[in-house]
Amino acid sequence: MPMSSLPDDVSQLRPALHQLRDWVYGDEFDHRLFDAYMKTPHDVGGEPDAPLKYVEKEEEVWELNTFITCEALAWRGIWTSEERRRLCNVDLGKTQYSGLPYYGRWVLAMCRVLVEKHHITLGELMDRTSEVQERIASGNSGGTPKAETPESADSAAVKRNEHHTDAIGKGDPQCFAGMASDPQFSLGDSVRVRKMPAIFYTRTPEYMRGVTGTVVRLAYESLAAEDEAFDREDQRPEWFYIVRFKMDDLWEGYAGPASDTLQAELEERWLEPVA
Amino acid sequence: MTDTAETHDHDHRPPAPQVHEISDFEVLEIALRELAIEKGLFTAEDHRRYTEYFETLGPVPAARLVAKAWLDPDFKALALADGLAASREVGADWLEAPPTGFGTPSDFTAFVVLEDTPKLHHVIVCTLCSCYPRPILGNSPEWYRTPNYRRRIVRSPRAVLAEFGLIIPEDVEIRVEDSNSKNRFMVLPVRPAGTDGWSEDQLAEIVTRDCCIGVALPKPGVTSNAPRDVHPAVNPVPTH
Repeated sequence: MPMSSLPDDVSQLRPALHQLRDWVYGDEFDHRLFDAYMKTPHDVGGEPDAPLKYVEKEEEVWELNTFITCEALAWRGIWTSEERRRLCNVDLGKTQYSGLPYYGRWVLAMCRVLVEKHHITLGELMDRTSEVQERIASGNSGGTPKAETPESADSAAVKRNEHHTDAIGKGDPQCFAGMASDPQFSLGDSVRVRKMPAIFYTRTPEYMRGVTGTVVRLAYESLAAEDEAFDREDQRPEWFYIVRFKMDDLWEGYAGPASDTLQAELEERWLEPVA
Repeated sequence: MTDTAETHDHDHRPPAPQVHEISDFEVLEIALRELAIEKGLFTAEDHRRYTEYFETLGPVPAARLVAKAWLDPDFKALALADGLAASREVGADWLEAPPTGFGTPSDFTAFVVLEDTPKLHHVIVCTLCSCYPRPILGNSPEWYRTPNYRRRIVRSPRAVLAEFGLIIPEDVEIRVEDSNSKNRFMVLPVRPAGTDGWSEDQLAEIVTRDCCIGVALPKPGVTSNAPRDVHPAVNPVPTH
Protein backbone atom coordinates (compact mmCIF):
# COMPACT_ATOMS: atom_id res chain seq x y z
CA MET A 1 0.00 0.00 0.00
CA PRO A 2 1.66 3.23 -1.07
CA MET A 3 2.52 5.53 1.79
CA SER A 4 1.42 8.57 -0.08
CA SER A 5 -0.93 9.85 -2.70
CA LEU A 6 1.95 11.38 -4.67
CA PRO A 7 1.93 8.77 -7.46
CA ASP A 8 -1.73 9.61 -8.25
CA ASP A 9 -1.96 11.97 -11.20
CA VAL A 10 -4.89 13.84 -9.77
CA SER A 11 -2.92 14.82 -6.68
CA GLN A 12 -0.31 16.37 -8.97
CA LEU A 13 -2.73 18.85 -10.51
CA ARG A 14 -1.77 22.32 -9.32
CA PRO A 15 -3.02 25.77 -10.19
CA ALA A 16 -0.39 27.67 -12.13
CA LEU A 17 -0.48 31.41 -12.58
CA HIS A 18 1.30 32.13 -15.80
CA GLN A 19 3.62 35.13 -15.92
CA LEU A 20 2.48 37.25 -18.87
CA ARG A 21 5.93 38.09 -20.17
CA ASP A 22 9.47 36.89 -19.60
CA TRP A 23 11.83 39.11 -17.62
CA VAL A 24 9.66 41.05 -15.20
CA TYR A 25 10.86 44.59 -14.68
CA GLY A 26 13.03 45.34 -11.68
CA ASP A 27 10.34 47.50 -10.11
CA GLU A 28 8.03 44.46 -10.19
CA PHE A 29 10.57 42.21 -8.51
CA ASP A 30 10.49 42.51 -4.73
CA HIS A 31 12.76 41.05 -2.01
CA ARG A 32 10.55 38.02 -1.57
CA LEU A 33 10.89 37.07 -5.22
CA PHE A 34 14.61 37.78 -5.20
CA ASP A 35 15.15 35.51 -2.19
CA ALA A 36 13.01 32.78 -3.75
CA TYR A 37 14.87 32.80 -7.07
CA MET A 38 18.30 33.10 -5.47
CA LYS A 39 17.83 30.36 -2.87
CA THR A 40 20.43 27.74 -3.70
CA PRO A 41 18.53 24.79 -5.20
CA HIS A 42 20.13 22.15 -2.98
CA ASP A 43 18.94 23.89 0.20
CA VAL A 44 15.70 21.97 0.72
CA GLY A 45 15.76 21.44 4.50
CA GLY A 46 12.39 22.33 5.98
CA GLU A 47 10.57 22.83 2.69
CA PRO A 48 7.02 21.49 2.85
CA ASP A 49 6.55 18.03 1.40
CA ALA A 50 4.21 15.08 1.76
CA PRO A 51 4.95 11.58 3.04
CA LEU A 52 6.48 9.43 0.32
CA LYS A 53 7.13 5.74 0.08
CA TYR A 54 10.88 5.37 0.58
CA VAL A 55 12.48 2.81 -1.71
CA GLU A 56 15.86 1.30 -2.39
CA LYS A 57 17.28 1.36 -5.92
CA GLU A 58 19.46 -0.99 -7.88
CA GLU A 59 22.47 0.88 -9.24
CA GLU A 60 22.97 1.08 -12.99
CA VAL A 61 26.39 0.30 -14.41
CA TRP A 62 26.51 3.80 -15.91
CA GLU A 63 25.74 5.30 -12.50
CA LEU A 64 28.63 3.49 -10.86
CA ASN A 65 30.90 4.50 -13.74
CA THR A 66 29.79 8.11 -13.31
CA PHE A 67 30.55 8.06 -9.61
CA ILE A 68 33.97 6.53 -10.20
CA THR A 69 34.85 8.98 -12.98
CA CYS A 70 33.93 11.88 -10.70
CA GLU A 71 36.11 10.50 -7.91
CA ALA A 72 38.97 9.72 -10.33
CA LEU A 73 38.90 13.32 -11.55
CA ALA A 74 39.22 14.49 -7.94
CA TRP A 75 41.90 11.89 -7.16
CA ARG A 76 44.02 13.33 -9.98
CA GLY A 77 43.43 16.95 -9.01
CA ILE A 78 41.08 18.09 -11.77
CA TRP A 79 38.50 19.25 -9.20
CA THR A 80 37.44 18.77 -5.59
CA SER A 81 34.17 17.17 -4.58
CA GLU A 82 32.97 20.61 -3.49
CA GLU A 83 33.28 21.95 -7.03
CA ARG A 84 31.26 18.96 -8.14
CA ARG A 85 28.54 19.74 -5.58
CA ARG A 86 28.31 23.33 -6.74
CA LEU A 87 28.07 22.30 -10.39
CA CYS A 88 25.61 19.45 -9.99
CA ASN A 89 23.51 20.61 -7.01
CA VAL A 90 23.26 24.38 -7.48
CA ASP A 91 24.53 25.81 -10.77
CA LEU A 92 22.11 23.72 -12.83
CA GLY A 93 19.24 25.70 -11.38
CA LYS A 94 16.07 24.60 -9.66
CA THR A 95 14.27 23.13 -12.65
CA GLN A 96 17.08 20.78 -13.64
CA TYR A 97 17.85 20.07 -10.00
CA SER A 98 14.33 18.87 -9.40
CA GLY A 99 13.83 17.21 -12.76
CA LEU A 100 16.95 15.31 -13.72
CA PRO A 101 18.05 11.93 -12.42
CA TYR A 102 20.48 12.10 -9.50
CA TYR A 103 23.49 10.78 -11.38
CA GLY A 104 22.48 12.62 -14.53
CA ARG A 105 23.47 15.78 -12.72
CA TRP A 106 26.86 14.28 -11.83
CA VAL A 107 27.48 13.57 -15.51
CA LEU A 108 26.65 17.15 -16.48
CA ALA A 109 28.88 18.49 -13.70
CA MET A 110 31.93 16.59 -14.88
CA CYS A 111 31.32 17.64 -18.48
CA ARG A 112 31.03 21.23 -17.34
CA VAL A 113 34.23 21.25 -15.32
CA LEU A 114 36.28 19.78 -18.14
CA VAL A 115 35.03 22.43 -20.54
CA GLU A 116 35.35 25.31 -18.07
CA LYS A 117 38.88 24.38 -17.06
CA HIS A 118 39.87 24.08 -20.71
CA HIS A 119 40.73 20.39 -20.67
CA ILE A 120 38.32 19.80 -23.54
CA THR A 121 36.40 22.12 -25.78
CA LEU A 122 32.63 21.94 -25.97
CA GLY A 123 33.06 21.00 -29.62
CA GLU A 124 35.20 18.02 -28.68
CA LEU A 125 32.54 16.86 -26.26
CA MET A 126 29.79 17.26 -28.84
CA ASP A 127 31.77 15.41 -31.50
CA ARG A 128 32.68 12.56 -29.21
CA THR A 129 29.12 12.25 -27.93
CA SER A 130 27.88 11.96 -31.52
CA GLU A 131 30.53 9.38 -32.27
CA VAL A 132 29.60 7.29 -29.23
CA GLN A 133 25.95 7.43 -30.25
CA GLU A 134 26.86 6.22 -33.77
CA ARG A 135 29.02 3.43 -32.40
CA ILE A 136 26.19 2.25 -30.19
CA ALA A 137 23.64 2.46 -33.01
CA SER A 138 25.84 0.38 -35.27
CA GLY A 139 26.30 -2.18 -32.52
CA ASN A 140 30.10 -1.98 -32.59
CA SER A 141 30.35 -2.45 -28.80
CA GLY A 142 30.01 1.31 -28.84
CA GLY A 143 29.15 1.23 -25.19
CA THR A 144 32.70 0.35 -24.26
CA PRO A 145 34.89 3.39 -23.92
CA LYS A 146 38.16 3.47 -25.77
CA ALA A 147 40.45 3.18 -22.79
CA GLU A 148 44.03 3.76 -23.72
CA THR A 149 46.02 6.78 -22.77
CA PRO A 150 47.69 7.67 -26.07
CA GLU A 151 51.43 8.29 -26.32
CA SER A 152 50.55 11.87 -27.18
CA ALA A 153 48.84 12.56 -23.86
CA ASP A 154 51.05 14.78 -21.76
CA SER A 155 49.76 13.94 -18.32
CA ALA A 156 52.38 16.14 -16.68
CA ALA A 157 51.20 19.20 -18.60
CA VAL A 158 47.64 18.91 -17.32
CA LYS A 159 46.76 21.65 -14.88
CA ARG A 160 45.86 20.06 -11.53
CA ASN A 161 45.12 21.47 -8.10
CA GLU A 162 47.64 21.54 -5.25
CA HIS A 163 45.20 19.84 -2.95
CA HIS A 164 45.43 16.37 -4.46
CA THR A 165 49.13 16.13 -3.62
CA ASP A 166 49.20 18.39 -0.53
CA ALA A 167 46.67 16.21 1.25
CA ILE A 168 48.45 12.89 0.65
CA GLY A 169 49.20 11.18 3.94
CA LYS A 170 47.23 13.80 5.84
CA GLY A 171 43.64 13.65 4.66
CA ASP A 172 41.09 16.41 4.23
CA PRO A 173 40.39 18.50 6.35
CA GLN A 174 43.59 17.57 8.21
CA CYS A 175 45.63 19.16 5.40
CA PHE A 176 44.33 22.55 6.54
CA ALA A 177 45.30 22.17 10.20
CA GLY A 178 47.09 25.19 11.62
CA MET A 179 46.20 27.49 8.76
CA ALA A 180 43.19 29.31 10.14
CA SER A 181 43.38 32.23 12.53
CA ASP A 182 42.67 31.41 16.17
CA PRO A 183 39.09 30.23 16.64
CA GLN A 184 36.75 33.06 17.51
CA PHE A 185 34.33 30.80 19.41
CA SER A 186 34.68 28.24 22.19
CA LEU A 187 32.67 25.30 23.42
CA GLY A 188 29.44 26.42 25.01
CA ASP A 189 29.35 29.83 23.33
CA SER A 190 26.00 31.16 22.23
CA VAL A 191 26.16 32.06 18.55
CA ARG A 192 23.71 33.39 16.03
CA VAL A 193 23.79 32.33 12.39
CA ARG A 194 24.15 35.45 10.28
CA LYS A 195 21.75 36.39 7.57
CA MET A 196 23.98 36.98 4.58
CA PRO A 197 22.82 37.02 0.97
CA ALA A 198 23.80 33.57 -0.25
CA ILE A 199 24.49 34.35 -3.87
CA PHE A 200 25.55 31.35 -6.01
CA TYR A 201 26.76 28.98 -3.31
CA THR A 202 26.74 28.22 0.38
CA ARG A 203 26.44 25.25 2.68
CA THR A 204 24.71 27.23 5.42
CA PRO A 205 21.07 26.21 5.08
CA GLU A 206 18.44 28.93 5.06
CA TYR A 207 16.42 27.24 7.79
CA MET A 208 19.05 28.08 10.43
CA ARG A 209 19.89 31.61 9.38
CA GLY A 210 19.09 34.16 12.06
CA VAL A 211 18.76 31.40 14.67
CA THR A 212 20.75 31.25 17.90
CA GLY A 213 22.46 28.04 18.97
CA THR A 214 25.27 26.69 21.11
CA VAL A 215 28.75 25.68 19.99
CA VAL A 216 29.15 21.99 20.89
CA ARG A 217 32.28 21.17 18.94
CA LEU A 218 35.25 22.88 17.36
CA ALA A 219 35.19 20.61 14.35
CA TYR A 220 38.16 21.37 12.06
CA GLU A 221 39.83 23.99 9.91
CA SER A 222 39.03 24.06 6.23
CA LEU A 223 38.56 26.26 3.24
CA ALA A 224 35.07 27.69 3.35
CA ALA A 225 32.64 25.99 0.99
CA GLU A 226 32.16 29.35 -0.76
CA ASP A 227 35.87 29.20 -1.66
CA GLU A 228 36.43 25.49 -2.12
CA ALA A 229 33.51 25.30 -4.53
CA PHE A 230 35.32 27.78 -6.77
CA ASP A 231 38.77 26.19 -6.57
CA ARG A 232 40.14 29.05 -4.47
CA GLU A 233 43.03 27.19 -2.88
CA ASP A 234 44.63 30.61 -2.40
CA GLN A 235 42.07 31.59 0.24
CA ARG A 236 42.61 31.18 3.97
CA PRO A 237 40.91 28.28 5.78
CA GLU A 238 38.70 29.04 8.77
CA TRP A 239 37.33 27.15 11.75
CA PHE A 240 34.16 25.12 11.40
CA TYR A 241 31.90 24.53 14.40
CA ILE A 242 29.11 22.14 15.21
CA VAL A 243 26.29 24.31 16.51
CA ARG A 244 23.27 22.85 18.27
CA PHE A 245 19.83 24.40 17.98
CA LYS A 246 16.52 23.76 19.72
CA MET A 247 13.91 22.57 17.26
CA ASP A 248 11.51 25.08 18.85
CA ASP A 249 13.87 27.87 17.76
CA LEU A 250 14.24 26.55 14.23
CA TRP A 251 10.58 25.87 13.48
CA GLU A 252 7.56 27.89 14.43
CA GLY A 253 4.98 25.53 15.84
CA TYR A 254 7.36 22.57 16.14
CA ALA A 255 5.15 19.69 17.20
CA GLY A 256 7.66 17.64 19.20
CA PRO A 257 9.00 17.96 22.74
CA ALA A 258 10.95 21.06 23.74
CA SER A 259 14.03 18.91 24.27
CA ASP A 260 14.39 17.97 20.59
CA THR A 261 17.46 19.44 18.92
CA LEU A 262 19.32 19.67 15.64
CA GLN A 263 22.96 20.36 14.98
CA ALA A 264 24.96 21.28 11.90
CA GLU A 265 28.43 22.43 10.87
CA LEU A 266 28.92 26.12 10.34
CA GLU A 267 31.82 28.19 9.12
CA GLU A 268 33.14 30.89 11.42
CA ARG A 269 32.23 33.59 8.89
CA TRP A 270 28.58 32.66 9.25
CA LEU A 271 28.48 33.06 13.05
CA GLU A 272 28.22 36.09 15.28
CA PRO A 273 28.48 36.18 19.06
CA VAL A 274 25.34 36.59 21.14
CA ALA A 275 25.73 38.83 24.15
CA MET B 1 22.93 -8.82 5.91
CA THR B 2 20.88 -8.60 2.77
CA ASP B 3 17.86 -6.50 2.06
CA THR B 4 14.71 -8.45 1.47
CA ALA B 5 12.40 -6.62 -0.87
CA GLU B 6 9.77 -7.23 -3.45
CA THR B 7 9.77 -5.49 -6.76
CA HIS B 8 6.54 -3.63 -7.52
CA ASP B 9 5.75 -1.56 -10.54
CA HIS B 10 3.03 0.76 -9.24
CA ASP B 11 4.28 3.81 -11.08
CA HIS B 12 3.46 4.94 -14.58
CA ARG B 13 6.82 4.73 -16.35
CA PRO B 14 6.81 3.78 -20.01
CA PRO B 15 7.90 0.19 -20.67
CA ALA B 16 11.58 -0.44 -20.01
CA PRO B 17 13.73 0.42 -23.03
CA GLN B 18 15.23 -2.29 -25.22
CA VAL B 19 18.46 -3.77 -23.99
CA HIS B 20 20.47 -1.88 -26.64
CA GLU B 21 18.97 1.49 -25.75
CA ILE B 22 21.37 3.54 -23.72
CA SER B 23 20.49 6.68 -21.82
CA ASP B 24 21.75 10.11 -22.85
CA PHE B 25 23.67 10.32 -19.62
CA GLU B 26 25.44 7.05 -20.24
CA VAL B 27 26.50 8.26 -23.69
CA LEU B 28 27.87 11.46 -22.18
CA GLU B 29 29.70 9.56 -19.45
CA ILE B 30 31.40 7.32 -21.99
CA ALA B 31 32.37 10.26 -24.20
CA LEU B 32 33.66 12.26 -21.25
CA ARG B 33 35.65 9.37 -19.82
CA GLU B 34 37.28 8.64 -23.19
CA LEU B 35 38.26 12.28 -23.61
CA ALA B 36 39.56 12.50 -20.05
CA ILE B 37 41.72 9.43 -20.57
CA GLU B 38 42.96 10.65 -23.96
CA LYS B 39 43.97 13.99 -22.50
CA GLY B 40 45.88 12.30 -19.69
CA LEU B 41 43.60 13.57 -16.92
CA PHE B 42 43.43 10.09 -15.40
CA THR B 43 44.02 6.58 -16.73
CA ALA B 44 41.74 3.64 -17.37
CA GLU B 45 43.78 1.87 -14.70
CA ASP B 46 42.87 4.66 -12.23
CA HIS B 47 39.20 4.08 -12.99
CA ARG B 48 39.57 0.36 -12.53
CA ARG B 49 41.52 0.73 -9.27
CA TYR B 50 39.05 3.15 -7.75
CA THR B 51 36.15 0.91 -8.78
CA GLU B 52 37.88 -2.01 -7.09
CA TYR B 53 38.30 -0.03 -3.85
CA PHE B 54 34.73 1.24 -3.95
CA GLU B 55 33.30 -2.24 -4.40
CA THR B 56 34.87 -3.32 -1.10
CA LEU B 57 32.70 -0.84 0.83
CA GLY B 58 29.65 -2.02 2.75
CA PRO B 59 27.96 -1.87 6.16
CA VAL B 60 29.94 -4.67 7.85
CA PRO B 61 32.65 -2.49 9.46
CA ALA B 62 30.02 -0.15 10.92
CA ALA B 63 28.18 -3.09 12.48
CA ARG B 64 31.44 -4.35 13.89
CA LEU B 65 32.27 -0.94 15.36
CA VAL B 66 28.95 -0.87 17.20
CA ALA B 67 29.28 -4.46 18.46
CA LYS B 68 32.81 -3.84 19.72
CA ALA B 69 31.73 -0.63 21.41
CA TRP B 70 28.93 -2.48 23.18
CA LEU B 71 31.35 -5.09 24.51
CA ASP B 72 34.44 -3.00 25.26
CA PRO B 73 34.17 0.33 27.14
CA ASP B 74 37.71 1.32 26.10
CA PHE B 75 36.88 0.81 22.44
CA LYS B 76 33.66 2.75 22.91
CA ALA B 77 35.63 5.63 24.39
CA LEU B 78 37.99 5.50 21.40
CA ALA B 79 35.07 5.47 18.96
CA LEU B 80 33.63 8.60 20.55
CA ALA B 81 36.98 10.40 20.83
CA ASP B 82 38.54 9.38 17.51
CA GLY B 83 36.16 7.92 14.97
CA LEU B 84 38.88 7.40 12.37
CA ALA B 85 41.02 5.32 14.73
CA ALA B 86 38.09 3.15 15.77
CA SER B 87 37.06 2.76 12.15
CA ARG B 88 40.58 1.63 11.25
CA GLU B 89 40.40 -1.06 13.94
CA VAL B 90 37.29 -2.57 12.36
CA GLY B 91 38.86 -2.63 8.92
CA ALA B 92 37.69 0.65 7.42
CA ASP B 93 40.69 2.92 6.96
CA TRP B 94 39.41 6.23 5.67
CA LEU B 95 42.89 7.56 4.86
CA GLU B 96 45.02 4.61 3.71
CA ALA B 97 42.54 2.33 1.93
CA PRO B 98 41.44 4.63 -0.92
CA PRO B 99 44.00 4.76 -3.75
CA THR B 100 44.21 8.56 -3.56
CA GLY B 101 46.47 8.68 -0.51
CA PHE B 102 44.29 11.40 1.03
CA GLY B 103 41.00 9.56 1.56
CA THR B 104 38.01 9.54 -0.72
CA PRO B 105 37.38 12.86 -2.42
CA SER B 106 33.69 12.85 -1.49
CA ASP B 107 33.78 11.43 2.04
CA PHE B 108 36.82 13.23 3.54
CA THR B 109 38.56 12.07 6.72
CA ALA B 110 36.53 13.58 9.55
CA PHE B 111 34.41 10.72 10.92
CA VAL B 112 32.37 11.19 14.09
CA VAL B 113 30.39 8.53 15.97
CA LEU B 114 27.20 9.81 17.63
CA GLU B 115 26.31 8.02 20.85
CA ASP B 116 22.67 7.29 21.55
CA THR B 117 21.63 6.96 25.18
CA PRO B 118 18.34 5.86 26.75
CA LYS B 119 17.40 9.57 26.70
CA LEU B 120 18.89 10.63 23.35
CA HIS B 121 18.31 9.35 19.82
CA HIS B 122 20.26 10.59 16.81
CA VAL B 123 19.20 10.54 13.18
CA ILE B 124 21.43 11.66 10.31
CA VAL B 125 20.67 13.55 7.12
CA CYS B 126 22.50 15.73 4.63
CA THR B 127 19.91 18.35 3.69
CA LEU B 128 22.09 19.75 0.89
CA CYS B 129 23.06 16.59 -0.97
CA SER B 130 23.59 13.08 0.44
CA CYS B 131 26.85 13.14 2.39
CA TYR B 132 27.26 9.72 3.96
CA PRO B 133 30.03 7.75 5.73
CA ARG B 134 30.71 5.49 2.74
CA PRO B 135 34.10 4.10 3.83
CA ILE B 136 32.53 2.41 6.88
CA LEU B 137 28.90 1.96 5.83
CA GLY B 138 28.95 1.52 2.03
CA ASN B 139 26.96 3.57 -0.42
CA SER B 140 23.95 5.60 0.65
CA PRO B 141 20.44 4.26 0.11
CA GLU B 142 18.24 5.85 -2.53
CA TRP B 143 15.72 7.27 -0.05
CA TYR B 144 18.46 9.02 1.94
CA ARG B 145 19.37 11.06 -1.15
CA THR B 146 15.83 12.15 -1.94
CA PRO B 147 14.80 15.77 -1.47
CA ASN B 148 11.75 14.35 0.32
CA TYR B 149 13.75 12.81 3.19
CA ARG B 150 16.07 15.80 3.32
CA ARG B 151 13.16 18.26 3.48
CA ARG B 152 11.15 16.52 6.14
CA ILE B 153 13.52 14.82 8.58
CA VAL B 154 14.87 18.16 9.86
CA ARG B 155 11.43 19.66 10.35
CA SER B 156 9.34 16.68 11.50
CA PRO B 157 11.76 13.98 12.61
CA ARG B 158 9.22 12.17 14.78
CA ALA B 159 6.72 11.93 11.93
CA VAL B 160 9.33 10.69 9.47
CA LEU B 161 10.76 8.18 11.94
CA ALA B 162 7.23 6.92 12.61
CA GLU B 163 6.93 6.23 8.87
CA PHE B 164 10.06 4.08 9.27
CA GLY B 165 8.25 2.27 12.07
CA LEU B 166 10.24 3.98 14.80
CA ILE B 167 8.27 5.71 17.54
CA ILE B 168 10.57 7.55 19.94
CA PRO B 169 9.03 8.30 23.35
CA GLU B 170 8.47 11.97 24.21
CA ASP B 171 10.95 11.83 27.09
CA VAL B 172 13.75 10.82 24.69
CA GLU B 173 15.42 13.74 22.94
CA ILE B 174 15.69 13.44 19.18
CA ARG B 175 18.81 15.07 17.81
CA VAL B 176 18.98 15.48 14.05
CA GLU B 177 22.51 15.73 12.69
CA ASP B 178 22.58 17.72 9.47
CA SER B 179 25.77 16.47 7.86
CA ASN B 180 26.19 19.60 5.76
CA SER B 181 29.97 19.86 5.56
CA LYS B 182 33.08 17.65 5.87
CA ASN B 183 32.22 15.59 8.94
CA ARG B 184 30.68 12.20 8.28
CA PHE B 185 28.58 10.56 10.96
CA MET B 186 27.12 7.27 12.09
CA VAL B 187 24.92 6.45 15.04
CA LEU B 188 26.08 4.19 17.88
CA PRO B 189 22.69 2.85 19.01
CA VAL B 190 21.85 1.73 22.54
CA ARG B 191 22.47 -1.98 23.03
CA PRO B 192 19.04 -3.60 23.16
CA ALA B 193 17.72 -5.83 25.91
CA GLY B 194 17.81 -9.57 25.27
CA THR B 195 21.45 -9.64 24.13
CA ASP B 196 23.18 -10.65 27.36
CA GLY B 197 26.16 -12.92 26.80
CA TRP B 198 26.11 -12.40 23.04
CA SER B 199 29.34 -12.61 21.05
CA GLU B 200 30.62 -9.75 18.91
CA ASP B 201 29.43 -11.59 15.79
CA GLN B 202 25.93 -12.06 17.18
CA LEU B 203 25.74 -8.40 18.15
CA ALA B 204 27.06 -7.18 14.80
CA GLU B 205 24.38 -9.22 13.02
CA ILE B 206 21.57 -7.08 14.46
CA VAL B 207 23.25 -3.74 13.66
CA THR B 208 21.83 -2.87 10.26
CA ARG B 209 22.65 0.05 7.97
CA ASP B 210 19.33 1.62 8.94
CA CYS B 211 20.36 1.51 12.62
CA CYS B 212 23.57 3.37 11.79
CA ILE B 213 21.62 6.15 10.08
CA GLY B 214 19.17 6.32 12.97
CA VAL B 215 15.94 5.27 11.23
CA ALA B 216 15.83 1.90 12.99
CA LEU B 217 16.78 0.44 16.36
CA PRO B 218 18.70 -2.82 16.69
CA LYS B 219 16.50 -5.73 17.80
CA PRO B 220 17.35 -9.34 18.60
CA GLY B 221 16.27 -11.44 15.64
CA VAL B 222 16.28 -8.58 13.13
CA THR B 223 19.34 -8.91 10.93
CA SER B 224 18.37 -6.90 7.87
CA ASN B 225 16.94 -3.53 6.97
CA ALA B 226 13.15 -3.32 6.89
CA PRO B 227 11.77 -4.68 3.61
CA ARG B 228 11.27 -1.95 1.07
CA ASP B 229 10.45 -1.86 -2.62
CA VAL B 230 13.49 -1.85 -4.87
CA HIS B 231 13.44 0.18 -8.07
CA PRO B 232 15.16 -2.15 -10.52
CA ALA B 233 18.02 -1.10 -12.80
CA VAL B 234 17.87 -1.64 -16.57
CA ASN B 235 21.53 -2.69 -16.56
CA PRO B 236 22.38 -3.34 -12.92
CA VAL B 237 25.83 -3.42 -11.40
CA PRO B 238 26.55 -7.12 -10.88
CA THR B 239 26.48 -8.05 -7.20
CA HIS B 240 29.31 -10.28 -6.06
